[in-house]
Amino acid sequence: MDQSLTTKGMKIIGVVLLIYAALVATHEGEFWPFSIYPMFSQAGNPWTRAIVLDVTDLPDDEIWNPKTLSELPAEPVPVGNYGVDQIDFSNFISKTENWTVNRRNALRSMFGRENIGARRWMASKAQGKLVDEDSVVVVIQPFLMITADSVYMNPQLNESDYFSGE
Amino acid sequence: MKWYEKIGNELFEPSRSVTPGELVFFKLFELFIVVYTIKYGWEWGFYSQLRNSEVVLPLGVANYIDASFFFEHQFALVIAGLLTLGSVLAFFRRGPKWTYLVVMILLHLQYVIRFSQGEIPHSSNLIGMGVFCFAIGALFFPGKNRMPRFVLGTIIFFTGLGYTSAFFAKLIGTGIEWFDGRHLWLWISEKSIDILSRTGEWQPNFIQRIALGSTTMASIILLFGWLTEMIGITMWWKRLRPYSTTLIIGMHLGITLSMNIRFDAFVMQLILIGYPWYKLMDLWVKTTPPWVERTI
Repeated sequence: MDQSLTTKGMKIIGVVLLIYAALVATHEGEFWPFSIYPMFSQAGNPWTRAIVLDVTDLPDDEIWNPKTLSELPAEPVPVGNYGVDQIDFSNFISKTENWTVNRRNALRSMFGRENIGARRWMASKAQGKLVDEDSVVVVIQPFLMITADSVYMNPQLNESDYFSGE
Repeated sequence: MKWYEKIGNELFEPSRSVTPGELVFFKLFELFIVVYTIKYGWEWGFYSQLRNSEVVLPLGVANYIDASFFFEHQFALVIAGLLTLGSVLAFFRRGPKWTYLVVMILLHLQYVIRFSQGEIPHSSNLIGMGVFCFAIGALFFPGKNRMPRFVLGTIIFFTGLGYTSAFFAKLIGTGIEWFDGRHLWLWISEKSIDILSRTGEWQPNFIQRIALGSTTMASIILLFGWLTEMIGITMWWKRLRPYSTTLIIGMHLGITLSMNIRFDAFVMQLILIGYPWYKLMDLWVKTTPPWVERTI
């Protein structure tokens, strides 16, 4: 084999690198499979994930109250058992800015009406942050209650928590 | 010789002769990439068909086309079918030189359809880069003398670069205090919610208990991973490659144990590209099998 493989190969890599840089620079670091791999780059920030609690047996006046993780009032619903990707679900809850009727129905169809049946499932935000410099606290905030027929917003929250207005 | 040609010589090793063992290994590596491409194609296709109904976060080409168009009418499954056909044709070199390029475009499309829901996973990136390198290798360096070297060398180049860029992303995004162990506490608690939500239960494992019990130990775990990322580009040098690869695989095991994040395809691909397997193959393979000659 001759040296031309190296010369031509590196030139092609150089061109690909330019395309790679241009695509990730204009698409917030991601243009699959090109990436600057920014995951975990911003450390120490509070985070928000999501979890579903089965609140079927809780009294109505308790279901909307926030709790810490250590005082969970109801059993978590294992969303993986219903074919739902947990990360997708979590992002769906935390990144949706306008909870339109379509978006709420999309949440319900994510789980499937037949799976919900007669249960009441509370899609809750789990918010974690460092406190007192030496511990992490996680607060579970009830957000949307899903039944087979509808999706209800938390009456204790403001409209601005569900609609960004854009 | 220019500096980039020196790096190129480390990646492509043009002075080394092509051996039967190398060609057989290359075909097995290609099979690994093709199998994962087909696997992802169908997994992403079925999920999109069954679960996706609205675009939450447009990625890649979905910034310019409406990915929700593919959620209906089995379109995601049609793409999976085309991906399978294209991958098989490309593997057996049946079809034009740009077949792998079509596979790459379809796989990108399938990724942005599937991951339009807010998650940006990276576990499939190395497979994607593999397909991409096969696409440009088939176009510019077809044939048994050049394609294997170019494809593997280019994958190694971008893999090493990816790790080092991840190091700088952390340095820029947070600063030198990135490896503060309390940051790991936050990530462990975040992942614990994911697991609790997915399975209904979570218990910390041995490594997580150590990290949660001591800021110093948590900081050491983060620092090991971060420094390993920093030296990612040392994979470009063939003599260092097995050692850097071993460290990177160790880092991935650490991420799996401390944060429950698995990178199966990533680690398997690292094992395949990080060590000189052709030397082992050459012990057994003395002549190139006809099917490899025909399909390389």
